[in-house]
Amino acid sequence: MSLPAWSEQFDRDRLRNVPSTLPPIITREWAWAGATGAGVRVAVVDSGVDAGHPAVGHVDGAVIVEHDPEAPSHVRFVEGAHGDVFGHGTACAGIIRSIAPDCELFSVRVLGARLTGKGHVFAAGLRWTLEHDMNVVNMSLSTGKQDYFGLFHEIADAAYFRNVMLVCAVNNVPGPSYPSEYASVFSVAAHVDKDPLHFDYNPEPPVEFGAPGVSLDVAWLDRGRLTASGNSFAAPHIAGIVALTLSKHPRLTTFEMKTVLASLADNRTAAHRAG
Amino acid sequence: MSPRRDPVTTLARLAADLGVSFLPAGHQELLRSITEAARRLFEAGACSIALLTDDGAELQFITASGAGADAVTEMRIPAGQGIAGWVVMSGQAIAVDDVAQDPRFAATVAQATGYVPRSILAMPLETARRVLGVIEVLDRAEHRAATNRDMELLGVFAAQAALAIESSTVFNDLGRFLLEAWAGASTDTDLADRLRRHASTAPQPRKDMAEIAGLFYELGQSSASERRLAARVLREVLAYTRDRSTGDDD
Repeated sequence: MSLPAWSEQFDRDRLRNVPSTLPPIITREWAWAGATGAGVRVAVVDSGVDAGHPAVGHVDGAVIVEHDPEAPSHVRFVEGAHGDVFGHGTACAGIIRSIAPDCELFSVRVLGARLTGKGHVFAAGLRWTLEHDMNVVNMSLSTGKQDYFGLFHEIADAAYFRNVMLVCAVNNVPGPSYPSEYASVFSVAAHVDKDPLHFDYNPEPPVEFGAPGVSLDVAWLDRGRLTASGNSFAAPHIAGIVALTLSKHPRLTTFEMKTVLASLADNRTAAHRAG
Repeated sequence: MSPRRDPVTTLARLAADLGVSFLPAGHQELLRSITEAARRLFEAGACSIALLTDDGAELQFITASGAGADAVTEMRIPAGQGIAGWVVMSGQAIAVDDVAQDPRFAATVAQATGYVPRSILAMPLETARRVLGVIEVLDRAEHRAATNRDMELLGVFAAQAALAIESSTVFNDLGRFLLEAWAGASTDTDLADRLRRHASTAPQPRKDMAEIAGLFYELGQSSASERRLAARVLREVLAYTRDRSTGDDD
């Protein structure tokens, strides 16, 4: 009997046994006790990262993505060390480092001197993370421009199928926000709690997770620090927790990781959450 | 139609050249009332709105209420630095409790306005077509600092301001083309030719507006039933584009 193309892999003779990844009861002990983020590649798609900031320590790779009308696809890549234009990328990198101290950090700088070609630069930065085998991508950026809906959707889906976990800050402006609204990403907003491992789950999407992001002391320009608030600081908390969990359980898929986070959220009422 | 007198042509040329100065009178007042309402609601020292320049390299303040308002209005800052710069680039809102902790930003602002705020809450002004600029609230009352509710609230003001700015931009683009064509034309036929020529030579996105102006002019010459048909087609097009809005690249 001939089967539709996608049914062949479910043919009894070909079907593989898949090792289980999730325990019957998910606990924080199981998820990340003893984990450091080691071996997990985390990209910060933002304004650059100051690798010399004490909160960051070092980065393992860096690329500037910028608009260039002469280049193919109007985007140019410049690999190598760079600084932070605004301070925000360093803040995100510092938060991720504080939660997953041994993760490999990569800075993908997509924000620069002007807004020209922003959507295509963002998209090229995201593609770079897919092509360079990142495991987790922190993206505290969004666009509400409908022209980019399809473009970002395609990249977000590609990331999902490759288990590249995109962690995106939602914006506070009424109206659409891409890529944070897609089901394939971890969408994050700020809550007022300060404990870095305190996160909540919202069963009414599009925003799924809440993490610290109000009046936080974060790394900033010139080796300094700043007290700041925003969903953009909540996202790197979830990125850090994802990196931590992934370093202990590298085979987790994106949807399994969401299941882990949803199970371990502080507002989850299950009696067995402790651990 | 007889050739028009010089003063009209001169006025039309001036109007076209002055561009944004010829916005509808209520526009500027509306934006100022938005900043004033936000300033009062947040018990803040000041509130301002800055828009991206055409080349996307700078933010120009167009209205402000409260402390330092006069110094800030018309001020330009590079879009590639500071809190407001990051907000407009990233599309994300941010609040900073102590601006002095960002010495580069504090120095730039102090130099330009003589007023350095302690805190800043900044949010992008954005429509489904493009990023317009940023709205900032400076020095909110201390007791409001540790909450994220203010961001949600400012989002409502930002949406209103973005809508007002977007509609006046469309008005302005269309008005500018009619005036430019008017300035160069001496007869009715000449005006139609001018509009067509504008449509073929104007840079995007003004090219589209010029072409539409030309088509409207021609419609004006046709019969009532033809105009009704055109209106119906336009309504259909607008209904479609409301569902699936498109725009020009940032």
